[in-house]
Amino acid sequence: METFNEANKIEIETYDILKTVIDPELGINIIDLGLIYKIEYDNHNGTIKIEITLSTKGCPMGDVIMDNIHSKIGEKFPTLKLNLSLVWEPAWSPDLVTPAGRKALGMSY
Amino acid sequence: MQTQGIKKAPSASVVIPHYLFGAVSFLVCSVLIVFSTDAFSGHYFHPKLLSITHLMALGWGSMIIFGALYQLLPVILDTPLYNESLAKITFGIFAAGSIYLAFSFWNFYVGIHIQIASCLILTAFILFTFNIIQTARNIPKWPIEADFIVTSTVWLLLTGIVGILMAFNFRYAFLPKSHLLFLKIHAHLGIAGWFVLLIIGVASKLIPMFLLSHQLNKKKLSYSYYFINIGLIALSADLFFYEGSRLLTIYAGSILTGILFFITYLFDAFKERARKKLDVGLKHSFLAFIIFLLPLFLGVIFSIKSSTNGETLQQVYLIYGIAIFFGFITSLILGQTFKTLPFIVWLYKYQKRAGKEKIPLPKDLYSEKLATLQFIVYIIALITTIAGVLLNRMPLARTGAVLLLLTAILYNLNVFKIVFIRTVPKS
Repeated sequence: METFNEANKIEIETYDILKTVIDPELGINIIDLGLIYKIEYDNHNGTIKIEITLSTKGCPMGDVIMDNIHSKIGEKFPTLKLNLSLVWEPAWSPDLVTPAGRKALGMSY
Repeated sequence: MQTQGIKKAPSASVVIPHYLFGAVSFLVCSVLIVFSTDAFSGHYFHPKLLSITHLMALGWGSMIIFGALYQLLPVILDTPLYNESLAKITFGIFAAGSIYLAFSFWNFYVGIHIQIASCLILTAFILFTFNIIQTARNIPKWPIEADFIVTSTVWLLLTGIVGILMAFNFRYAFLPKSHLLFLKIHAHLGIAGWFVLLIIGVASKLIPMFLLSHQLNKKKLSYSYYFINIGLIALSADLFFYEGSRLLTIYAGSILTGILFFITYLFDAFKERARKKLDVGLKHSFLAFIIFLLPLFLGVIFSIKSSTNGETLQQVYLIYGIAIFFGFITSLILGQTFKTLPFIVWLYKYQKRAGKEKIPLPKDLYSEKLATLQFIVYIIALITTIAGVLLNRMPLARTGAVLLLLTAILYNLNVFKIVFIRTVPKS
């Protein structure tokens, strides 16, 4: 139970960190844009696994967002490993945007 | 699960000089127009008009498109630019050729000067085309956008070849048919083949990306590609062999149909967009495609030219050119500059600091107030200029030209601010 709580805590903290990573073109964080598919902490090998997608293949902001995640997670958890995967399936769609993101984009919600 | 790395953009030193040169060319053209509105009341084959048109098409339109394309190829084609040094060499030759050609036309030096200038420009086109085709050879999966981009460079090359033939024809008069006929072919290869195809290839990727539009029908782009190219090949051949037969309307109609397929694709993207708030860059871009309907309509009229008398036709030819160069192409560049240049500069200045300290966003690098003012002044300038030319009221056309100059000044202020001014992050 203690292990679960520790993992859960790290995943929640990771989620909070990702909320501070902004798409520079849209000015909206990547959680609210629905770009994060998975946050998982494996306490056996001390690895945080994050699956991220982009709104369009070849999105020029992709590099910036990925570098930003590496930088912020590395700063918060210097002893942990980060396994950051860029995935295209399932494809991103506007349905994945959170209510806060929809408001920022001007979508009806 | 498929993962994919993201390719790096070319260095800023490849791209930014194109934007600066383009912005200054636009400013210079605007100044030249203010001092040559008298030329707008006559035939389009006028040294001043030829000079302004070529500076607009080469120094402004093509120069910024070259730079933007170098930056956007990794985004659109998923592969980095083949050779950055070649791009820098191309820029130098192209810049020198554009200035020299505009200077030669302005003074109507149709001998050695225009010949050297056109050689420089054709050399730049050959190098550019080579760089793009070599880049395209590395595309992992060939998209329809690549068809548009690669084919457009081939049309650009043909435009340059016809151009150089005409430049030498001034002195040696060897072409088998009239100079004006070749001018028509040259203009349509450049406009429909180079500008339109390239713009469709780039915009069909970028506009949905900026609008967050998904699940669009890409078949429309394929139809667009074939209708435009078949129409353009047939139109050029018809002009060359028959000097414009009755079938010209069908060929023009094919090009029009192709462009309309693309415009409906854009409309779908607009309708399906998740990003509802449009910034000034996107407003300018959509305005460009609305303006584009005017020359499309006029193009069909030209192909049925018997219905119009000669004098009116000269004014309409001028409006056709104004709507394309000062309307469609200019509005699109004025808008897309604010979608691309701040990002390019931002990558160069701030990318490494992202996530480590507070930094401005790309949109903070330019003044939105100036850009909005530019958008409004531009619309008034374009309407006033077209009205002045159409009604043959030169004071009105001159007012439009002054407003266009104001647009160019506002645009240059923002471009130079983006590139040279250090921006403080907003709190």
